[in-house]
Amino acid sequence: MRYWSDIKNTLNDNIEVATHLLLLMLGAYVFIMAENERLLKIPILFTGLLIWFLTCKKIKHPIIWITFFVLLFIDICYSYFWVANHHFMLMFMVLAIIFFNYHKRHEVLLKNVQILLFIVVITSVFQKLMSTQFMNGNFYYYMMNRGSIFGVFFNFLPENLELIKSNSESISVLHDTNPNNAESILLKDVFSNLGLISLIFAWTTVVVEFIVAITILWKPRSNGTHLFLTMMILGILCTRLETGFMALLAICGIFLCSNFKLKLLYIIIVIGCIALMVTKLGYH
Amino acid sequence: MSNIKNEALLKYGIPSLAIITIVMQLFFVHTKNLNKWKGGGYGMYSEIHYYYNQIYIPGISVDSLVKNDADMKATLGYLMLMPNEDSLKKAAELVLQTTEKDSIHIQIWKPTVDSKNGVYSRALIDEIYLKNSDL
Repeated sequence: MRYWSDIKNTLNDNIEVATHLLLLMLGAYVFIMAENERLLKIPILFTGLLIWFLTCKKIKHPIIWITFFVLLFIDICYSYFWVANHHFMLMFMVLAIIFFNYHKRHEVLLKNVQILLFIVVITSVFQKLMSTQFMNGNFYYYMMNRGSIFGVFFNFLPENLELIKSNSESISVLHDTNPNNAESILLKDVFSNLGLISLIFAWTTVVVEFIVAITILWKPRSNGTHLFLTMMILGILCTRLETGFMALLAICGIFLCSNFKLKLLYIIIVIGCIALMVTKLGYH
Repeated sequence: MSNIKNEALLKYGIPSLAIITIVMQLFFVHTKNLNKWKGGGYGMYSEIHYYYNQIYIPGISVDSLVKNDADMKATLGYLMLMPNEDSLKKAAELVLQTTEKDSIHIQIWKPTVDSKNGVYSRALIDEIYLKNSDL
């Protein structure tokens, strides 16, 4: 029981917990990305880490956050169109933490995180609504028949896995032919009624993301909001191991959530995602 | 008044940067044919990944072109990510210089699928013909 109350005490300060996890996630991410533009990053990393290590208790500036921000910014400058979408979100969150270190106002930081989270989820909804390929179910149909989503589960369904392999082989054979001959192939459905399932799944995705976005904007601290957000994160993780992005969304959840059990669930998600990310089982 | 402005800047300044990034991404998607998976616009999983696009150069194997050639890999990768006139021209120029051919024809295709009947085929996004004399 004592351990349980200790854990509760540890999780009392949302900003502290979320900031620690963000720093952990940030450290893992920038070290994975460190080999890009390494010659430029070495002096920055060396100087930043040295100053942070020697002066962390005396200097008032958030040296480690600034160092990591500069590393993220270098990636943006050199690989704007290649970095993942959550690289941008991570950069904005780090910027919010750096500013928080100076203004020290909790409500400002939480507003930054809330609006950022809302923007990310609502933009994802609009991007899907604007995509005919997504809304008519063709996208999910293609992804499932190729095993590009729900891949983890297909490993336990040998018959379906065979169909996926057969589809991949057929596509590979087609790709070896001249595309100007306008040949086509018939994909084998990994499940019956996959066309309809894909259509329903596409609309469900949009509806769920829309509900999450609106509740984040409307009631950012409500248990219902965080229940929806955790379910959405877990749902996405089941679809594909987008661990880097999901860790970030869960950290946003920790910033805003006041329910102990939901906070604990977020923390489990973040740490699980980081573990999968650094071991390269999940995407960074 | 300035307090209100500062307050708004503190609360909405960083989110505004996110909105600017998204607007820029949409601009590139609609004017330069950038794939929605990239560019900071959170359009992942809304269309098929650019990785599945196919570059077709009659008489030349793309795999052999990119093998051990980082510059070629980057240029053709850029063409898959953002297939437009500029990226096609850059790719064609590099392929011409590398292969020392008189002329080159490059096409970029994307996969299309119909969930109603399961038909998978390819659709031409864009193409270029370039002669060595045009360089």
